[in-house]
Amino acid sequence: MFHFVDQILELDPGRHALGIKRVRTDEIFVRLNADGKATLLSCILGEALGQLGAWSVMAAKGFTVRPVAGVVGEVAISGEAAVGDSVLLDTTIDSVTDDAVFYHAAASVGGATVLRLENTLGPLLPMEQFNDPKEMRERFARIRHSGDSAGEPQTGGGTAAPFDLSFDEILSFESCKEATAVRALSGSEAFLRDHFPRKPVLPLSLLLESLLQLGQKLLEDSGSLYVPTGAQKVKMSRFVEPGSSLLAKVQVTERSAENALMKFRCEVNGERVCVGQAEYRAIIGENR
Amino acid sequence: MNTDTVYPKVREIIADVLAFDEEEIQRDGSLVEDYSAESIDFLDLVYQLEREFKIKIPRGMIEQEARRGVDEGEFEEHGRLTDKGLEHLRKYLSEVPEDRFTPGMQVSLIPTLFTPETFCKIVIREMEQGERAASD
Repeated sequence: MFHFVDQILELDPGRHALGIKRVRTDEIFVRLNADGKATLLSCILGEALGQLGAWSVMAAKGFTVRPVAGVVGEVAISGEAAVGDSVLLDTTIDSVTDDAVFYHAAASVGGATVLRLENTLGPLLPMEQFNDPKEMRERFARIRHSGDSAGEPQTGGGTAAPFDLSFDEILSFESCKEATAVRALSGSEAFLRDHFPRKPVLPLSLLLESLLQLGQKLLEDSGSLYVPTGAQKVKMSRFVEPGSSLLAKVQVTERSAENALMKFRCEVNGERVCVGQAEYRAIIGENR
Repeated sequence: MNTDTVYPKVREIIADVLAFDEEEIQRDGSLVEDYSAESIDFLDLVYQLEREFKIKIPRGMIEQEARRGVDEGEFEEHGRLTDKGLEHLRKYLSEVPEDRFTPGMQVSLIPTLFTPETFCKIVIREMEQGERAASD
């Protein structure tokens, strides 16, 4: 399952939407944070906000088009959503044209913002290339009215293995400086079934999470640990399809005792797929 | 109003969107050839310009305007520009260095001609149009 809006609470199609994502015990995209608490991957919160924006614009456009990942001006990570939490998703569409949607959004838990997306752009493409429009309408009707929590367990009964975020192979690794890594998309990855049924492609959210984690490893040094606080100017310029081998290059451009900055670039067959930068905060000596 | 007035801001936005330093951006550089702009970058660029200058840039506007006054069959044939089409385009994109227009070039490659100055012209045109509409 790669659907993260459990229920749409309020909707003004093409303008504003409020939704809910409940973090369950059997989620695939949960991992232990530095305190040992099971929390949802930050990038999945971003994915949930993007999906809520997508529902809003798809409803406004009569399910003829759907947005795909394009540019995220800024992702700001300011908290976490733990297992058991209900995350309030709030997406505001700034403008919709024939070929793109522009929006900003925030996810909050108990009134505190945990993640924000700013200056987000999603190209709009014909729905039929990605999904069965009828299925999308039906899903929309379900989450619009009663919510999706009852019928469909998130992981098919809690038996699914957690999503593996690591790259297949680290090609080069120079601590605190730069690293290159590859990951092949085989086509059998579970998330590809929903993203998207008619055109399976690697979600930007998962790619970004992998990159943030690779950067985290790169920044780790004896006694220091850095956690991501956000990413900027993240841009997806091509789809990564099954059979592709993704080459990621991450480079630390700044590193102090307090924070760090990392640039990243991903390519498939030498062509740019995704670029951007990420920020980290040092939590030196804590929880280690 | 001329394009000098908007160029500094347009250059800043182009540099930001394409992840270059402002100093690296040449006013007559090809956004595609010299700065590796792709379709997502053009979407991003147009949106950022619209926000900054509070204008609306109709999608596909450059090509549509370049075609104005020429019949479909006269402008292109089998996806390639005719001599007349090329001449029309050259006049319309007068800021683009002559040698970048190649006879029989594919219509789909028109965006490879766009320069920062092309976008300055668009911004000015849309700002003036907005002002005209406001005073009507």
